[in-house]
Amino acid sequence: MIQVRFFPENKEIKLEGPLTVKQLFRKLNLLPQTALVIRNGKILTSDLTLKNGDEVEIRIITSRG
Amino acid sequence: MKCRRCGKQAEIELRSHHTAFCRDCFKLYFLRQVKRAIKEQHMFSPRERILVAVSGGKDSLTLWHILLELGYNASGLFVDLKIGGFSEHAREKVEKFAQKRDAKLIIVDLEKEGIPIPKVVKKTGKEPCAICGQVKRYFFNRIAYEQKFHILATGHNLDDETSRLLANLLRWQMSYLVDQGPVLPPAYRLVKKVKPLYRLTEYEIAAYAFINNIDYFAGKCPFSKGATFLRYKHYINQIEYEFPGTKLDFYQGFLKKMKPFLTPFQREETTSSQVCPRCGYPTLAPLCGICRLKEEIEKAG
Repeated sequence: MIQVRFFPENKEIKLEGPLTVKQLFRKLNLLPQTALVIRNGKILTSDLTLKNGDEVEIRIITSRG
Repeated sequence: MKCRRCGKQAEIELRSHHTAFCRDCFKLYFLRQVKRAIKEQHMFSPRERILVAVSGGKDSLTLWHILLELGYNASGLFVDLKIGGFSEHAREKVEKFAQKRDAKLIIVDLEKEGIPIPKVVKKTGKEPCAICGQVKRYFFNRIAYEQKFHILATGHNLDDETSRLLANLLRWQMSYLVDQGPVLPPAYRLVKKVKPLYRLTEYEIAAYAFINNIDYFAGKCPFSKGATFLRYKHYINQIEYEFPGTKLDFYQGFLKKMKPFLTPFQREETTSSQVCPRCGYPTLAPLCGICRLKEEIEKAG
């Protein structure tokens, strides 16, 4: 499973891999470039693939006032 | 995906530019965009004193970080709104940021001013985002003017600007449209306002903040739930998704093709030197919005 943690909410979910970052956005109903996907301290581009065992952080980036 | 500039693995994909960069090349791209905004829009010179309005969020702290990096004389101003569970965390991030960089920070405490936002909302029933914006704009300008800053800089980004432009256009709000732009010239007791990040999207700013370890506050204001500006941002992002590059074209097009026609209106509306008899700052009403608000709160007890 891919472990996905949301920042700053600290919510966690698990998803079945493999998934590309593009597919991950679609699954989470997010538009591309409304969040950063971070793995091991690096931002991932949409073509990269997430495998089972990966831990990723999703930073939703819209300003909240 | 490879970095367009150096061929290394890319981290930041820019759909609107049909390109991608590694973090080092992205930093260069980002700084170039900020420098271009400052130069092309004649925002300020290295000699001028800049006051950066900081909220603790990614945009304003990134702006302050960059101006300091570029060697500008930039101080910060934080307005403590006194919204419990929100303002104290934002303030802590701003104070830590300033301390780490040994930068000057000014804080306005709305409790001391008698108008903490929760109290204002409770006593007047006014729309929180509108009132909060009005209070912040007033103190940003007042502190900048009183402490003799040449420039007031805010962290508004391309998403802020395009969502506001769309909202104003949909309602043909001419008086707001004339004031929209990356630079608002100085007027009587009004300090020149600039938006050096106007060419950059929230995504680009968030990426820059992340790769530069800028420790920002990402909390959600309890009053902003369902705020209309967030809906407009969402709609703009949907258009951008289908037609990458629209945001920048929309805003640049407005600045180049429509803004010049609005200038005569702007002059007409800002020549008044009418001032508030209480605080001395410009207003077209008998009392300025903030003094009226203070009076309302005092009456309500």
